[in-house]
Amino acid sequence: MPKQKYLCIQRSQPGGKRDKPSPAQMEKMYATFNAWKEKFQKNIVDLGGRLGDGGVVTSESVTDGPFIETKEIVGGFMIVEAASLKEAMTIARECPGVVMPGSSVEVREIHTG
Amino acid sequence: LTAPTRVEHFFRHEYGKLVATLARRVGMQHLADVEDAVQSALMTALETWTVAGQPDNPSAWLFRVAWNNLMGELRRRAGHRRILEKTLGQDLVTRENVAERFLEGEVRDDLLRMLFVCCDDAIPVESQLMLALKTLCGFEVREIALRLFTSEENVYKRLGRARTRLRKTKAAIRPGDLTADQYASRISAVHRILYLLFTEGYLSTQAETTIRRELCEEGLRLATILVEHPAGQTPETAALLALMHLHMARMTARQDRSGGLLLLEEQDRRLWDRVRIQEGMEWLVKASRGDQFSRYHAEAGIAAEHCLAASFQATRWEKIVECYALLERIAPSAIHRLNRAVAMAEWRGPREGLAVLKGFEPPSWLEGSYLWAAVLADLHRRLRNDAAAKRYRESALEFAPSPAVKELLRRRLEARAKADV
Repeated sequence: MPKQKYLCIQRSQPGGKRDKPSPAQMEKMYATFNAWKEKFQKNIVDLGGRLGDGGVVTSESVTDGPFIETKEIVGGFMIVEAASLKEAMTIARECPGVVMPGSSVEVREIHTG
Repeated sequence: LTAPTRVEHFFRHEYGKLVATLARRVGMQHLADVEDAVQSALMTALETWTVAGQPDNPSAWLFRVAWNNLMGELRRRAGHRRILEKTLGQDLVTRENVAERFLEGEVRDDLLRMLFVCCDDAIPVESQLMLALKTLCGFEVREIALRLFTSEENVYKRLGRARTRLRKTKAAIRPGDLTADQYASRISAVHRILYLLFTEGYLSTQAETTIRRELCEEGLRLATILVEHPAGQTPETAALLALMHLHMARMTARQDRSGGLLLLEEQDRRLWDRVRIQEGMEWLVKASRGDQFSRYHAEAGIAAEHCLAASFQATRWEKIVECYALLERIAPSAIHRLNRAVAMAEWRGPREGLAVLKGFEPPSWLEGSYLWAAVLADLHRRLRNDAAAKRYRESALEFAPSPAVKELLRRRLEARAKADV
């Protein structure tokens, strides 16, 4: 089955302040992330990144952020390759740091051609 | 996997190194800011490295980010005052000049210096230990509380007071601060802290194995740094290292497969780590050069006797009795007397063991502990003093600090009963 690309968009609740992780927790997170990366290295097309401030361009106007109307903040994105949406969602779910309390990942197929 | 993931505790140890080296550069009065800057640099690393991959020299990368964080914060605080710029006299660290600024040997000196700074006799010992766990080992308040069986609030308060004290210490303000005299006068306090760090891990009957092992490893790591430095190359440091290695060698054998504690005579001596025992013995040889004989020498001597005995029965108990007697003289403590009684009972029998404790009034902390009751229960049991044995056995079980200890006591005291019938 040909592989399809998927865009994973991470969203989190604004103002969800969490305790800062300790160095011991950070080294655990880093190790878990690297293990995930290793496991799905064939599926990861682009690890994307975190998204910073931005602006909105509409047909009427150009506005700077923040986008008050959105209830969730888009925190980051990545692109994975998978045989099905189901597989892509599994990859996203297993990614540490992506699915945390109060956050979610939207997985969308990228149609090319 | 990338390099640092294979290095255990990379983040925690980098935290310690960075705090030590930055605090030396900007002065101990900025310790809290230094800790924040380092914490946030580690956070940036976690976010950046997972996406962009790890830089070639992760330590240098972290140093640059932490330094820039710290300078940014100090500048912001100082507003437009030029004074700070002059005092610090250093600009943002760039990619080009970072490598030469972050030299491994220099960082090691900084770590050691921080250890001596923590061991300020104006700071209570318990707080010194917490400060070392925080600044040198990279543990957070809640992690320290968990390891020292105290509340987060207590750790928080003690760290706060200790930092205040360091801020006021004139000696600790600028680089090159601790004098040779201060290094010499603080070395005993440094030994004590490392010993405490180790024994918190080794002797604790409450924490789980991985946590305990971690504390022991931290004690060993810092003691190793100490002995590599001219200020720390004393026979006492060598004895402390011997003691640590000889205890670590037997650590895995202390528990059965389900995590229950095992008595010395039940342990499978094949599980003892021979390489570590060898290393411990080498340190013991080094420790005997010179005319110092410290409590660490006596304790390492006891550990060595156990490690070298082919079996429990083949143990040279007379040597152990002798070491405990020496230990009692150097560091008087009721617990050493109790241990001597145990060793004496193995050497000459329970009656002689009990004689060591004859006329001895145990301090209340010992009388109210399971150890005192357990030893007396065991000795009386072996002498068939049934009433006394029963009384002490009940106290021992009542005072047992954890289910694992209770289980161990029950097995010991009941197994003895059967053996004697």
